[in-house]
Amino acid sequence: MLLPLLLAIEFGESDADLVRRLQRRDPRAMAELYDRYGRLVYALIVRVVRDGGIAEDLVQETFLRVWNRVQGFDAERGGLGPWLLAVARNRAIDYLRSAAGRMRNAVELPETEHPALFADMEKELLNSDRVRRVRVALEKLSQNHRAVIELAYFEGLSQAEMAERMGEPLGTVKTWVRTALKSLRDELGTAVTA
Amino acid sequence: MNCDELRDSYELYALGIADEPERGEVRAHLERDCSTCVPGVRGARELTTLIGATAPLAEPPARLRKRVLAIAGGQAGPQLKWSRLWAAVAAGALIAAVVFNTRAQHTSEELARVQAESAAQTRELARLNEAFAILNQPDARQVVFGGAAPQPPRGRVFLDRTRGVLLLASNLPPAPAGKIYEMWVIPKGGKPVPAGLFQSAADGTALHVRPGPVNVAGTAAVAVTLEVAAGATVPNLPPVFAAAL
Repeated sequence: MLLPLLLAIEFGESDADLVRRLQRRDPRAMAELYDRYGRLVYALIVRVVRDGGIAEDLVQETFLRVWNRVQGFDAERGGLGPWLLAVARNRAIDYLRSAAGRMRNAVELPETEHPALFADMEKELLNSDRVRRVRVALEKLSQNHRAVIELAYFEGLSQAEMAERMGEPLGTVKTWVRTALKSLRDELGTAVTA
Repeated sequence: MNCDELRDSYELYALGIADEPERGEVRAHLERDCSTCVPGVRGARELTTLIGATAPLAEPPARLRKRVLAIAGGQAGPQLKWSRLWAAVAAGALIAAVVFNTRAQHTSEELARVQAESAAQTRELARLNEAFAILNQPDARQVVFGGAAPQPPRGRVFLDRTRGVLLLASNLPPAPAGKIYEMWVIPKGGKPVPAGLFQSAADGTALHVRPGPVNVAGTAAVAVTLEVAAGATVPNLPPVFAAAL
């Protein structure tokens, strides 16, 4: 009975195994989930809300939501880390919207959390070569191209809201968004296909 | 629209910034488990995940781990390079905890729920503080609406050039399922600018704040329309009510 745990400790288990243990309501699995992704989730939420205290609340909400919804997660089809990050981002953007009384984005947030829409990805996202490449690619973007990506991802602004914020025509902003996404995609080569 | 036409919208959809009709079309393809669009959006999500992972590193406080573990009723220590013996001991303790601590787990889940509710209440308090901040501005412009109308709703709008716009309404029935109220600030000679979504309470009252600077002198009216739940960038229906400045 102890063998699986020993093996897990010795070799590290997959996200799929971790999902199955979460679905069995194994408290230790929650600890491992936090140890695996907690820093990343916290860093993302702090980047969005820029307040450590609020970020703590939102991190807890994120893990609570995952704990409550993990039964519907297909471990063979979905990526746990990407799903967790999407939930975290949505909680943080939701907070920004409620705090600012802003209109909602073009896509309803729960819609973007559908677990089946997340491909499995490397466990060590923080040390991922692809993250480093995206970071470098973002730095290489022009100021406006980088701004639209950051406003969309980290502030949850729609393209119309970005145009208003930046004082630029909507068509210009849409062009910047598409160009920036293409640059990022090109930088990652064939690893990401749309 | 066919899959080829939607290909360029996958990443916009994954970012949450796809416009209609592409957004609805992508969603429809996903709902029918489209063999092209599902992997397409999943691929696009990889990029958005990687963007999220570029957030500057930030070290969470140690107490946060305990708060998160409370959700599952666990109190596991930080991950260490344990020896096999320690791992076996810990595993045994874990199994014992699972077997015997069901009640404690329920208590911890309840604690987590209460903490989450508390966080929501904190945010609501912040909203009310914003409302009071507007009310406390001596120069805030106040406009009464609905007073002379034969039918409710009625209420007041307060505008302060630095703090924002506050709407207080009564006799405003809750928006029907799938709909939501949206406030608009209408500039003189300009198009309505979205000013946030809100829902009225069961008793028909509503409080909505659009914080941030507003050009009071350049504002012709503040209006409210009924929109689809996702909100709109332009009003789609005549206003439920409008407060002319």
